[in-house]
Amino acid sequence: MPIVEVENLYFSYDGKNWVLEDVSFSVEKGEFIGIVGPNGAGKSTLMKLLLGFYKPQRGKIYLFGQEVQRFKDWKMVGYVPQRLSVEHTFPAKVKELLSSVITDKKEFSYLVEYLKIEPILEKQFNKLSGGQQQRVLLALALSSNPELILLDEPTVGLDVHAVNHLINVLLDLRTNHRKTILMVSHDLGILLKHCDKILCLNRNVCYFGPPEGAIDYIEEVFGLRGLFDGTLKL
Amino acid sequence: MELLSYDFIQRGILAGILIGVSSALIGVYLILKRLAFLGAGLSHAAFGGIALSFLFGVEPYLFTAIFTVAVANLVQFLTKGKKVPGDTAIAIIFSSGIALAVLILGIVKGFGENLFSYLFGNILVVSKRELTYAFGVFLIVIFYLFFFYKKLMILTFSEELAKVKGVNVKLMNYSFSSLTALVIVASIKAVGIILASSLVVIPAMTGLLLGSSFLMSLIWSAVVSLISVVGGIVVAFYYDLPPSGAIVGISLLLFLLAYLLRHLSLK
Repeated sequence: MPIVEVENLYFSYDGKNWVLEDVSFSVEKGEFIGIVGPNGAGKSTLMKLLLGFYKPQRGKIYLFGQEVQRFKDWKMVGYVPQRLSVEHTFPAKVKELLSSVITDKKEFSYLVEYLKIEPILEKQFNKLSGGQQQRVLLALALSSNPELILLDEPTVGLDVHAVNHLINVLLDLRTNHRKTILMVSHDLGILLKHCDKILCLNRNVCYFGPPEGAIDYIEEVFGLRGLFDGTLKL
Repeated sequence: MELLSYDFIQRGILAGILIGVSSALIGVYLILKRLAFLGAGLSHAAFGGIALSFLFGVEPYLFTAIFTVAVANLVQFLTKGKKVPGDTAIAIIFSSGIALAVLILGIVKGFGENLFSYLFGNILVVSKRELTYAFGVFLIVIFYLFFFYKKLMILTFSEELAKVKGVNVKLMNYSFSSLTALVIVASIKAVGIILASSLVVIPAMTGLLLGSSFLMSLIWSAVVSLISVVGGIVVAFYYDLPPSGAIVGISLLLFLLAYLLRHLSLK
């Protein structure tokens, strides 16, 4: 049974213009999928449809074999949203925020250690750097030990060190814990290097397969022929 | 203290503390959800509800509470799926409430004086019935925040994350709006329709400026509200001032002090 299955998906915000058009793909357990596409290609919309935030006009989405609109077991899904624009007055400390979703003490300690959050537990979320905030968001996503992890542009605004830490964690989750990961990103180099498959999206699916075959499609979609010539070794 | 020997002062202080603390606690969440103006919108909508209760000849408190809860849920419904922006929905109910009251005043003569007494309120003439209502609302607020503390925190942080974490976002939003409406109706007696939102916003914002964590912000906002209410009534009693203005004046002073402290500590 695929972990994620999307069948002939159509979605429009205004009922006139399709943001996503006839999108179909499926993801098996333990796969790390990179979703790429230009701005407005429908990547974040696809994420929100997978999370059941919107209802598609046509087509079906299945998570763990259940239709997403009827899906109840959200503990099996972890989600890292695009950088949050939290009110600058939001006062919660990291410890408070994590405690609001992680009730098990052992799980709390494990995630704090796994994601190296200990030094920032007593700090307010709003006063953290982008990389530190991203680690907290990942900890929130990983609470309840989800099988499927969705990440929407998690590397935006992060320095190289923070990106490396994030990717290492994701690779560990995929390789050693058999988690299924779908990550939207503009960071093509990282996706092409680390993902098992690339989903190239531009309202419809232009390409879905191994990274080796994705480059031509990505160059075409972005209108950047020769982008990777001699610059990327997969 | 001389003033505590008066029965009406005791009742006023007690009602003020119950209403003030309830308002400040929900105000913290409203500010963080960028709905600070909801209090003002609902208090003005409640004015229409009070006018309607006069028109129908029914008990104003209960009728206005039901009316305002319905309006609060209407705001939630309108803003669902971002079809109507939140601030626009609030602006609509704000003006509609006043328009409704003005219309009723135009149709049925003789309500004017009674109706206008709700505009500025007076905590010192609070009845036992109103005190009971304030106590009931206070208990509901405390129990609601106690039971849903964690869910409200993650919901305030990100509705999307909350939904994925199994929080029934729709139910929480509707219930919280209803709670806000109940608190606003209670605070109308204390400071009146025009100043009701100030009890929701000013102590809460002061608490957010002073608090070093979520819990401490809630505690500070309640403390600031308590000081404002008690201080306001004392000042009003000794200097023969309107209590509502004195309460809001002291809370504003505390806000400015907190802002200054925060500003200096950031330097």
